[in-house]
Amino acid sequence: MAIRFDYLAKETGTNLVRNPSLTIAAVLTVAVSLALLGFSLVFREGVSRVSERWSDDVEFIVWMRPDATDDQIASVDQKLADNPLVTDHSYVNREATFAEFREYYADTPEIVETVEPAQLPTSYRVVPAASELAFVDSLGQEYEGQPGVSDVVFAGEFIKQLNAITGLAISGVTVVAAVAAVAALLLMYNTIRTAVFARRREVEVMKLVGATNWFVRIPFMLEGLVQGLIGAGLAVLAMFGVNRMIRDSQAASELDFINSFVLQPADLGPISLWLLAAGAAIGAIGSGFAVTRYLDA
Amino acid sequence: MIRLDDVTKTYSEGNVALRRANADIAKGEFVFLVGPSGSGKSTMLRLMNKSEEPDSGRIFVAGKDIGELSNWKVPMLRRNIGSIFQDYKLLPNKTVAENVSFALEVIGRPRAVIKTQVPQILDLVGIGDKADKQPHQLSGGEQQRVSIARAFVNRPLILLADEPTGNLDPQTAIGIMRLLDRINKTGTTVVMATHDAKIVDTMQRRVIQLDTGNIVRDEREASYG
Repeated sequence: MAIRFDYLAKETGTNLVRNPSLTIAAVLTVAVSLALLGFSLVFREGVSRVSERWSDDVEFIVWMRPDATDDQIASVDQKLADNPLVTDHSYVNREATFAEFREYYADTPEIVETVEPAQLPTSYRVVPAASELAFVDSLGQEYEGQPGVSDVVFAGEFIKQLNAITGLAISGVTVVAAVAAVAALLLMYNTIRTAVFARRREVEVMKLVGATNWFVRIPFMLEGLVQGLIGAGLAVLAMFGVNRMIRDSQAASELDFINSFVLQPADLGPISLWLLAAGAAIGAIGSGFAVTRYLDA
Repeated sequence: MIRLDDVTKTYSEGNVALRRANADIAKGEFVFLVGPSGSGKSTMLRLMNKSEEPDSGRIFVAGKDIGELSNWKVPMLRRNIGSIFQDYKLLPNKTVAENVSFALEVIGRPRAVIKTQVPQILDLVGIGDKADKQPHQLSGGEQQRVSIARAFVNRPLILLADEPTGNLDPQTAIGIMRLLDRINKTGTTVVMATHDAKIVDTMQRRVIQLDTGNIVRDEREASYG
């Protein structure tokens, strides 16, 4: 048995319009919680850009000269591997460096175009056994004079603090977003339940004349889906708006690292899609469950 | 067509609504369920379309044990059983024609079929000229005719009627009974719960009498009591 499309469209349409306050409540709930989720995702993206090279306790980076020979590279590798004070180290080859480079300068493709992978230096990311400044400093110095090494760069206190703060901030925002998402789901559930309660007579008659559960459920789920999508759409708009505000703000022109938090449409796109998908899912699933309560009663 | 086999139904408060009931209703029969309020008439009707589950015993509809019917098949059972009620259960925000076509829409009938069948059935129940009215613009008798049209438009094998004349004056009630009689004559089995002694006495059909959940009388061509 197929559900006729015109029946579905009519049912969903009238139901959305019949109870405007409930519809608005559901849409706004989804919008606010998904906007929070969106901001936390954007924030996370920005932070990961700022501290991309300094993740996982990497305390210093040994940059090789672009013209370092394979032997020189191998010898540095050996020394890092043999050093008991080095917990871990990883080699970043030319391709990986180029990929990072390209990502870092994604906003200015003209720079990326002038560079070939072969021109880029390779590097070792080093995780020392301890993170005290003096210890890391002296450990790093050991490699500064090695043949083939061009430079040793330390994670500054600034980066370390930034990492700590942003890590905390990300967890905070993520928790808030998760709570908001749960709240959205419950509110959606309640909203639709109220809507179903208002139409329980209709549901009763439908069941009485032999409508299948899915036949009763699908219009409600579509209703929730539309509400969820509209809410998610508002959240996406808010995200784009805030992103633009940050980009145009005074701080962005004065503080360079703020710019890392300004995302390009290419980055916002996937996040937007995720939010829309989440909105649709919250709406449809919340509604589906809400109706089920009345179907089996 | 409908067989109750030692059926018992108890509600959670411990009230026995039906105790070890046995009945066999043949195809095309017209049966009155009589008895005071709370005697189990409505429960018996609700058991027949699986709106309620019995605690014990078995119920057969058209030869099938409906206790063994899985949940997703219950809608198919209901499509063969029309139901009407004392309070009509019409949807107030739909017109007469929409109330009837709704019943066809939810079981997925094509629009062309709905377009021809709805006016036909409305003519049959005698309210062909009221198709575009809202339920609240109709008299009680007319509203009951709409609900009969909705129940019968799908040509079910069985029509269950729970006090269909309970809210109607005697004259209007007679009209409704004539209509149910006509529907019964098309071969549809009709089971009707009622308090109305006059109707039962006039019709002289089979009467199953209930008292506090027990079947105390089952008699052909009988009177109210």
